[in-house]
Amino acid sequence: MIKKTFIIICLAFISLLNSCGSGKTTGNKLLYWCSNNTDEINFAKVRTEEWNSGNPAHPVKYQPVPEGRSSEEIILAAVVGNTTPDIYSNMWQGDVEAYAQAGVLVALDTLPGFHDFIYNRCDSAVVEEITSHDGHIYQVPWKINPIMLIYNVNIINDLGLNGPPHTYDQFFDASKKFQKDLNGDGYVDQWFGYSEVLVTWWQRFFDFYPLYLAASGGAPLVKDDKAVFNNVYAVEVFRFLQTLYRRKYFAKEQLSARQDPFLAGVIASRFTGPWEIAHAEKFKPKGFQYEYSTMPVPDGHRGPVYTYGDPKNIVIFKSCKDPVSAWNYVKTLIDKEGDLRLLEITNQLPRRKELESDPFFSSYFSKNPKMKIFAEQSKYVRGTDASPVLKEVFDLISQEYEACVVYGQKSPEQAVKDASDAVDLLFIK
Amino acid sequence: MINRKKIMPYLLVSPYIVHFLLFVSFPVIFSIILTFHKWNIISPMEYTGTANYIKLFSDKTFFKSIGNTLIFLVIHIPLQIIIALFLAEILNQNIKMRRFFRGAFFLPVIVSGVVVSMLWQQLYGFDTGLMNRVLTAVGLDKVGWLIDPKIAMPSIALMATWKNVGLYIILFLVGLQTVPVQYYEAADLEGASHWQKFFRITLPMINPTIFMVLILSTIGGFSLFIEPYIMTGGGPLNSTVSAVLYIYKQGFFYYHMGYAATLGLFFAFIILAVIIIQKKFIEKNN
Amino acid sequence: MKSLRKILFYLALTISALIFVYPFYWMVIGSVSPESEIGNLTFFPDSLTLSSYSQMFDKIPIGGAFINSIIVSLSITIGVLVFGSMIGYALSKLVFKGRDLIFYIIIFTMTLPFQITLIPQYIIMVKFGWIDTYLALIVPYLVNALSIIMFRQYFKTIPDSLIDASRIDGCNELQIIFRILWPNSLPAIVTIGIITFMASWNEVLWPLIVIRDESLMTMPQLVTLFSVGGRADSQLGVKLASAVMLALPIVLAYLFFQKYFIQSMASTGLKE
Repeated sequence: MIKKTFIIICLAFISLLNSCGSGKTTGNKLLYWCSNNTDEINFAKVRTEEWNSGNPAHPVKYQPVPEGRSSEEIILAAVVGNTTPDIYSNMWQGDVEAYAQAGVLVALDTLPGFHDFIYNRCDSAVVEEITSHDGHIYQVPWKINPIMLIYNVNIINDLGLNGPPHTYDQFFDASKKFQKDLNGDGYVDQWFGYSEVLVTWWQRFFDFYPLYLAASGGAPLVKDDKAVFNNVYAVEVFRFLQTLYRRKYFAKEQLSARQDPFLAGVIASRFTGPWEIAHAEKFKPKGFQYEYSTMPVPDGHRGPVYTYGDPKNIVIFKSCKDPVSAWNYVKTLIDKEGDLRLLEITNQLPRRKELESDPFFSSYFSKNPKMKIFAEQSKYVRGTDASPVLKEVFDLISQEYEACVVYGQKSPEQAVKDASDAVDLLFIK
Repeated sequence: MINRKKIMPYLLVSPYIVHFLLFVSFPVIFSIILTFHKWNIISPMEYTGTANYIKLFSDKTFFKSIGNTLIFLVIHIPLQIIIALFLAEILNQNIKMRRFFRGAFFLPVIVSGVVVSMLWQQLYGFDTGLMNRVLTAVGLDKVGWLIDPKIAMPSIALMATWKNVGLYIILFLVGLQTVPVQYYEAADLEGASHWQKFFRITLPMINPTIFMVLILSTIGGFSLFIEPYIMTGGGPLNSTVSAVLYIYKQGFFYYHMGYAATLGLFFAFIILAVIIIQKKFIEKNN
Repeated sequence: MKSLRKILFYLALTISALIFVYPFYWMVIGSVSPESEIGNLTFFPDSLTLSSYSQMFDKIPIGGAFINSIIVSLSITIGVLVFGSMIGYALSKLVFKGRDLIFYIIIFTMTLPFQITLIPQYIIMVKFGWIDTYLALIVPYLVNALSIIMFRQYFKTIPDSLIDASRIDGCNELQIIFRILWPNSLPAIVTIGIITFMASWNEVLWPLIVIRDESLMTMPQLVTLFSVGGRADSQLGVKLASAVMLALPIVLAYLFFQKYFIQSMASTGLKE
């Protein structure tokens, strides 16, 4: 008797536990995972309702990505567990190549009307960037958040400067003027700029990588399974950052542990994206003025100033039973109306060409002047190179960054070369 | 008719058999197979022969991680044994409120390593951390506890000692109490000093306890993971990457499953080797 | 002279006790201090606030994580006690072919470093489809070699006559274990129960590997990710609050059952 009840209880318990997983069933609806950013959920709601009213035969259900350590982790778990949605819009460009090579994504260029649509929306440089090694296109660019230089207007004026620094020399000059030990304790208390000294691979998207793109006119880091960044631009960027830390123009301590250092006037500038605007408007002290400018470049730089755009793209998983309808739905997210709604609801830039000149969007930009500079920058924005080992590439660069820039233990030339050699090792079969 | 009596023992141990097959023998065998392949979970497994082993032997960071783990052990274990023995010896005297002190020492042991790591990360903070504030209050310089590559791992070793010493105080207390009182009484009659009693009687009698503590802390020390993961992420300059942290990163961050399995196998051998050497050393001294 | 020594002893003990307890005090006080004061905090803040706690509850599902940890730890503890006693009984009181072999295998597997089995165990979870389920957290830990050894050791001290008598009364083996042995093995059950519960409560590496969905994360896992990830917005007070929440259940249990905790840990050492 005990044994029987025991076994029954165990079985019941096990089946209970098994059902307490994260199951998703949507019947015959297409499932779209949006990010769990409140504004983006709103955007998804609006566009999905419009689609569903006009397309009752192909209903779509939107759902925020399940909460987890990071959305990249969640997608990986979904791929591994065969629980992928049909459409996903928050895919970081750097992750796509690995999934494409694993064969879990739909080759969008095989869908009807894709070619015309994509060239209508994006310029050829962007299309080339998102094309995979095998010549197919597995992602469609959605939005970007370009990294630029935010600066405190009042501080710039107080220092008697003509405007924000555009070149490295101007940056050093402004830094020297602003550097002060306010309370005489022997430690510097205000710095012109700041970047976290974390060795985490994605931290480089906020210092090394945008500066590298700016200096090199948008050059790649890896191409055809080789490291191609062992060049004068990477060295210049490493030297620039190393000098900033050596002369204590940048702080090595973690300033962000206390309150926002930029709004507190402890730092005068920062490399950041348009998301800072909402935060600044909410918390800025009275009389605080800020603007954005392009990333600083080496003196003697010619041509436009590029930067990193943190691109997020839309993909359709192979598990989708109706990719054609899925693509038709995706089109409504990224056609002109969709892009305008994206701007209005989330204040994030669609990755669309001629954004700053297209009259369709001009009313938005006149209402949101601070976003205008990002629209102008969007012409000169790069995402990431198509490589399945991108995280490791940035991890290796970060380690040399730490040794050279933060600890001054290596020369920039040596650090860049070591990083390049280490990356080449990754590709050895 | 199945003889119930005969079957019963096998039914009772069957959970272990299942567990052993599923979670011990299969993993070990699969682990070995995996070392000859390349696999990132989402794509099919790819046979690569001995490529992972070749990569292992030229992996400077992996050997650095093993070195870091050894540095941790070499600092943490002696420190822990000395402090635990010292405090246990004091507690063993006729002390009032022994329960209270014992309870206080044991508190860090039961608390999660996560809590201790988060707490000490703050205490070790360069600007506002308590440790540096105490130092500057007495006129000394600030120390880069977690940001100086030479000091970071010792700092973690210090914290690990703080966390675990309570357990070993208890174990030593038990050991000390097994020393027959007559020995001390005899020594008192001969006029032995406190130190003489300690080194001539106490230490030799608790040798077994000391060696047990040694082995327990060695095994524990080799699994160092959550402390560097939370406090430093492995930095600065990879000085706090422990072996397990490195294996974790290779397997669950880059998804180099085959390579991570290779690293795990190699490291497991190192651990077994160290434990065998320690046991041989103990047997010699007994 | 003797009293001087005594004074020194008490001094050393008191200072040591402070060293072990003060950081926790600081942690608790810090969690109820306003953010700006934490940097200068020593004994008491100028003002108290619960805002760190309310922010933390807003940002992460710590209550859910607490429940997950309870479910997982209780299940594992019950499983270990049940299976451990079953197998320990078979190994100590029954005679059957292969008994000694199994015993030696169990001892041997205790020396196996987990670093070897980590990755394949993860892969098994993937193949079974147990990733992001309670099963992945519980099942691999249901059978525990140490518990088997300890139960076997303890049962050996229970006289055979007791067992033989109950057999004559018509009890089957399972009834013997749960109706006769368990009531007579309370020290062992409490010891093994406490050790198992504590170890599974504090376990964090394995959940980090098999659980990605936040609604299933255990408490230490959630707090770890909160501390290491960006969700805390670099707010120190909130991080301290989450650490306090994580420590609280075990510390409370410890304060009530201190004697048993210490006894349990001490006896594991003796068995080595």
